[in-house]
Amino acid sequence: MKIWRIPDQVIRLAVVLVAAVAVLVVVRGRFVPASFGETGHYRADAVDVVAAQPIRYAGSQICVECHDGEGEAKSGSFHRTVSCEVCHGPAAAHAEDFESQTPLIPRERGAECLSCHEYLSPRPTGFPQIIERLHNPLQPCIGCHDPHDPTPPEVPESCSACHAQIARTKAVSHHLTLECETCHDAQAEHREEPRSFLPRKPTAREFCGSCHSESADSPADIPRVDLRDHGERYLCWQCHYPHHPES
Amino acid sequence: MERLESAVEQISGFIYPNEIELHWGLLVVLYPYITGLVAGAFILASLEKVFKVKELEPTYRLALLTALAFLLVAPLPLLAHLGHPERSFEIFLTPHFKSAMAMFGFVYAWYLMLVLLLEIWFDYRADLVKWGRKAGRFKKFLYWVITLGSRDLSPEAVEFDKKAVHTITLIGIPSAFLLHGYVGFIFGSVKANPWWSSVLMPIVFLFSAIVSGISLVLLIYYVTTLFRRKQPEMACLDKLASFLLYALIVDFSLEILDFIHRLYESEESIGILSELIVSKLYLSLTIVQILIGTIAPLLILAYSRFSRLPTELKRVAYFIGALLVQVGIFGTRWNVVIGGQLFSKSLRGLTVYKLELGGIEGLFTCIGLLILPFVILYILIKVLPPWEEASLALSEDAAVSTASAD
Repeated sequence: MKIWRIPDQVIRLAVVLVAAVAVLVVVRGRFVPASFGETGHYRADAVDVVAAQPIRYAGSQICVECHDGEGEAKSGSFHRTVSCEVCHGPAAAHAEDFESQTPLIPRERGAECLSCHEYLSPRPTGFPQIIERLHNPLQPCIGCHDPHDPTPPEVPESCSACHAQIARTKAVSHHLTLECETCHDAQAEHREEPRSFLPRKPTAREFCGSCHSESADSPADIPRVDLRDHGERYLCWQCHYPHHPES
Repeated sequence: MERLESAVEQISGFIYPNEIELHWGLLVVLYPYITGLVAGAFILASLEKVFKVKELEPTYRLALLTALAFLLVAPLPLLAHLGHPERSFEIFLTPHFKSAMAMFGFVYAWYLMLVLLLEIWFDYRADLVKWGRKAGRFKKFLYWVITLGSRDLSPEAVEFDKKAVHTITLIGIPSAFLLHGYVGFIFGSVKANPWWSSVLMPIVFLFSAIVSGISLVLLIYYVTTLFRRKQPEMACLDKLASFLLYALIVDFSLEILDFIHRLYESEESIGILSELIVSKLYLSLTIVQILIGTIAPLLILAYSRFSRLPTELKRVAYFIGALLVQVGIFGTRWNVVIGGQLFSKSLRGLTVYKLELGGIEGLFTCIGLLILPFVILYILIKVLPPWEEASLALSEDAAVSTASAD
């Protein structure tokens, strides 16, 4: 089979090539969506498909219309750029029907806070980070921090100016909310001549017992001991470090 | 999460959060390694056809089949890495020129369909027709399909085949350069990455491809002759070793040039790159790539090629040299792909790469993908024997039958 002077093998190859191109054209017609290329190198219908997806997030603006107190607290706080739904989850359904659809209200210690505040070396210097297993374990984050205005609790500056290390230690312990003066009776002169006028430390077991004894009138989640048979010959702070009692 | 935690422990300096885990792993290392082998093997085959290096005749067809076997596997690491392999054909259906990655469709189709397959087809056609005449029913049918039913063995037709092979090889050389230069281009054009962004990158890739291709064909030629209980032709091995040595010298010089250029230019990235080289890449770059993979084979090949070693010893030395070259070239790919992701865009910190054993990105998948081309090559060799004697025996048979007919 020779057409003019074209060799036989070339004709056969050409037939195969033409067949392959024909298959490609058919396959292309079958598989490439009709709207492909109308508005760029993609399927133009994809825009409509995305637009038709159900809306799950409401956006912060709609939240503050009802929750204006929280919105105001948040607007001047460190969390002002964090959208409500970052912690409370998608709330479009709640915005539509606030009576039967309740958004997530994270009250437990968990991922909502830690996804930003768990220690990671690449996070910028100065960004508040904690090591979860060391930072006041078992306590929910909202027990100490108001998530809408999460300004870190501070010990009085008059003490922390000199006792910075103790202040930092206490800041991550269960005792963070206690003022230094709760346990230490410091005379005014201590500030001028700290070594001559030392503050007093608790001298009686009953002082700690006012929160930790079995009969104490304090919140139920505070650990209790029976002062009669618990290390009766020692003061509490001789065994427990009061600035970080869980250590 | 555990993987992430163990990676975080090994991070040094400051890096951005999305840089902790590497996005391109071992599978992406495999891609330039395999395409390099393809380009190198093809360029070696073309040396015989275009530049008339007669000593390399025994490896011509073997090199072509090697290139084909590896080219068939070349896209698989990428498909496995990207996921959704069922969508991969879309790159051929909706081609475009705006992304270097999308050019893969053009480069692959051109090189596989038009260059490599056509060259093999024209080169084997006459032999296939002859083999078909003596083969059993199944093989006869197979050869008939492969030859597309062409049975013309007239001197003009055979002459045309030869000319076609010559022409395709001429087109094939720039195509092979394009195939691997393009892979280097992908890395070299990432402007934001100072480890990659270099105009020398495609050239370095190309020469390392040539080096790896020649050494692979040398290894396969050596091993296949052993299995066939034949003596490898020493002239051929000597020539292969010479080309391997010269290509290795050029490749190493280019890499040193690239290194000196970076040092002399000394941009703000030089600090982190120096730290990278002396810490995370010390083993894979200095020890594996440069010492074991380049300097050791350079010395072995140079000494064994130009000294009066006994033939047996020389062969073994060539084999070890070529094997070390493979280790070195794999190291090159590793250091480019993994190395380029180990430092932060902040230029202030380093992360770490954790190799997995199982899973789609794991070591076992990669070993499987590296074995696969050899399985394909085995099948190809069974269907299309590249040995001289397979072709010669038939032509002798034909001569005898023609003589007896006279």
